[in-house]
Amino acid sequence: MTGTVLNIQRYCSHDGPGIRTTVFLKGCSLRCKWCGNPESIRMKPELSYDFKKCTGKKACGICLKSPFPEGAFYVVEGDDDKVKVNWHLAMDCDETLTSLCPAGALEMFGKKMTVTEVLDEVEKDASFYRNTGGGMTLSGGEIMLQPDFSAALLKEAHNRGLNTAIETACNAPWSFLEKVLPHVDTMLHDHKLTIPERHKKWTGVDNKRILENFKKAYETFPDIDFIARTPLIPGVNADEEHIRAVLAFIRPHKNVIDYELLPYHRFGLGKYEYLGKVYELDDYKTPSDELVQHLQAIIDEAFGRTK
Amino acid sequence: MSTEIGHGSFLRRIAINVGAGYVPGINAVITGAAMAAGKMGWEMVGIRDGFEGLLQPEKYPEGGLVTLSPQLIENLDPSAGGVLGQSVRVDPFNVRTINKDDMVEEVDMSDHLLKRLKEEKIDGLISVVGGQGLSILYKLHRKGLNAVCIPRSIDNDIASTSVSFGFNTALTFTIEMLDRARQAAQSARKIAVVEVQGEQAGWVALQAGIAACADAIMIPEIPVDLKNVAGRLKDKMSPRRPYGLVVVAQGAKFINQAKKKEATSSLKASLSPLATGDSSSGHVIQSSGQAAQTVATELQLLIAEETYPLVIGPWVRGGTPSAVDRQLGMAYGAGALQALKAGKNGVMVAFVPPEIRFVPLAEAINKVRTVSAESEFLKIAYSLGIYCGI
Repeated sequence: MTGTVLNIQRYCSHDGPGIRTTVFLKGCSLRCKWCGNPESIRMKPELSYDFKKCTGKKACGICLKSPFPEGAFYVVEGDDDKVKVNWHLAMDCDETLTSLCPAGALEMFGKKMTVTEVLDEVEKDASFYRNTGGGMTLSGGEIMLQPDFSAALLKEAHNRGLNTAIETACNAPWSFLEKVLPHVDTMLHDHKLTIPERHKKWTGVDNKRILENFKKAYETFPDIDFIARTPLIPGVNADEEHIRAVLAFIRPHKNVIDYELLPYHRFGLGKYEYLGKVYELDDYKTPSDELVQHLQAIIDEAFGRTK
Repeated sequence: MSTEIGHGSFLRRIAINVGAGYVPGINAVITGAAMAAGKMGWEMVGIRDGFEGLLQPEKYPEGGLVTLSPQLIENLDPSAGGVLGQSVRVDPFNVRTINKDDMVEEVDMSDHLLKRLKEEKIDGLISVVGGQGLSILYKLHRKGLNAVCIPRSIDNDIASTSVSFGFNTALTFTIEMLDRARQAAQSARKIAVVEVQGEQAGWVALQAGIAACADAIMIPEIPVDLKNVAGRLKDKMSPRRPYGLVVVAQGAKFINQAKKKEATSSLKASLSPLATGDSSSGHVIQSSGQAAQTVATELQLLIAEETYPLVIGPWVRGGTPSAVDRQLGMAYGAGALQALKAGKNGVMVAFVPPEIRFVPLAEAINKVRTVSAESEFLKIAYSLGIYCGI
C-alpha cells in the first residue's frame, strides 16, 4: 500500500513520549488561517520553488523552455536574473520536470511511499525509541485523509514493536477514525475554537463533528492516552473562556491525560513563498509569555498540578 | 450562442465579472460595457461575485446572473461600489469546497464553469482583473473561453497598458493624505514617514511623493541605504524647516540593513521542513505598516530628529473614483465590446495614449510595469532635489 508522504523527520521530542520520528502526511481537511505547514495542505505532491537556489536565466534558464509549460516560468526585465514562477500556469508541473532543474530550486513537496519504505526509515532509530520510550508519530496535514495508509503504517509499527502516536484534528467521518485508532498509543488532538461559527470562520468547517469524534474516541478507546492541544492565537482563541470550555469538555474523561498550549508562531511564513501562497494572518503577533503562563496556570489547576 | 439578426450581425450574450478586491471605478466599467453592448444590440449580463454566480447559483435566490438592462445601467451610480460584487478568490481551477465527507478541499471547476457559460448561452466574457486574474483568464482562454480582460490596478503595475483604472483615484487620495501628513509634521516638528501602496512598482509613491514635495521617496525598484536618506534629511532640515516628509512604498527595499531575528518561542510541536521564520517573501503579504515602521525607527537612530510612521494602506481601496478613472472605466468597458465585435479573443484592453489597443493575454502576463531608471518621473524627482536612492 502507498500513501503520500511529505517528510520523515527524525529526533523529534514534542510529538508524543520520548524521542520520536515524525512522519508528515500530505493533505488536510481544514484550512486554518494560521497554518504553519502550508505544504501539507494539498493532497497531491506540489511544486515548490526556492529562489535562493536559482542560478538565473543566463547561467541556466532551462525552465524557460520546453518541456516546461509555456509561461509557467519567466524573468522580469530590469529585475535580477532569477526566474519567477507563474503559479497559475506552473501548478501542474510534476517530478519529471522538477528533476530537470540542475540547481534544485524546483522541487516537489510530497512523494508516494509504501508502508515498508516508511517503516524501514523510521526503524533506523529504534534504539533511541527503546531508551526513551519514543516511537513513531504520524502528523500532517490531517492523517485521517489517508485512513487506510495511516492504519497500515501504525499497525506495522506495532508489529515491529514501536510505540505509536498521531496528531489529528479529527475532521473526518468516524468510519475513518475507526480504522486508525485501534493502532494508536497516544493521540494528540486540537481543540482550536469552541464556538461552531467561529471555528468555521477560522478553519473552514464548524466543530460539531470534530467534538463528536473526540467524545466518541475518548469513550471507545479507553487505552489510548489522549493529549488535547490548542494552538494559541491572540485575537482568535487565546482567552480564558476557550481554555475553560476545553477543560470542561476533556476533564470528565480520565484518559485525556494532558492539555497543552501551542503558542502561535510565524516560522511557517517562508514556506508560503516556496509554494506561491499568500499568508492571511499578516498582522498577528505571538502571544505574550504572561498570557501563556496565565492560561497554563488555569490548565495546571484543573489537572491538580497547582504548586 | 449567437443568433443572426440580419445584415451579418449576430445577437450575442456577453457576461462581465469582477476579480477579487475592490477598485474605485468598477461601476463605470460595467456601465461602459453595458452601454456599448446595448448600442450593438447585444445582451449583457453580470456574474455575481467573480464566478460564484455561475458556480454556486444556489447562493443567490435572486439569481447568480444580473441582467444589465438599460434601465439598471441608467440608474447605476458610476461613483458607487461595484454592483456585481467580488469574490475573495476568483480561480475556477482552484475552488475551495466542502466535499461529501465534510472536508475542505480545492477542486478544479474550470470545465464546469465553461459548461455553465454554455448553458447560459454566454459566448463571451469580459473580466475586470488584476495581474493574477490575467493568468487565470489566459488559462480559461486556452481551454476555449472567448475572454477579454480589463486591467485594474491600484499600483498601476500591469504591463502593456499605460494606466490601469483605479490608479488615478489611489494617487489622488494618496496626495491628499501626504499633504495632511506634511502639515502635521510641520506643526509637530518631526519627520513623517508615510507608507503608501506599491508592492512591486513604485508609481504611487513616486508620483504622489513628487506632488506632495517629499524629501525622500523609496520605491521597490531602487533599493536605498537609510544612511543616505538620513544624510539627505540632515541637509534639508534646519531651524527654519524643522520637519520632513518621507514616502515609502510598501515593497521598498533597503540595503545594508541589519537583519532582525524573530524571537524563538518554546515550541511544543515539531516543525515541518523549511520552517525558517523567514518572512522576507515576495508572496507573503507583509504586515501593513512594516515598511514605514522600519524606516521611521532606523532613521530616528541615525539622526537627531523624531520620526513617526503613518500608513495609508487599504484606505485607498475605497471611495469615489476620480474623474480620470470614471472616464477610463467607461472607455475600458466600451473597448472590451469593440474587441469582441472585432473578433478579438484572449486579449487585454490596453490604453496606450492616444489609442485603445488589444494585447494578447500571452503577452500581457508575466510582466510587471515598474519604474525604469530612465523614467521621466524619476528625472523630475531628481530635478526637484527629492532623494530617490540615487
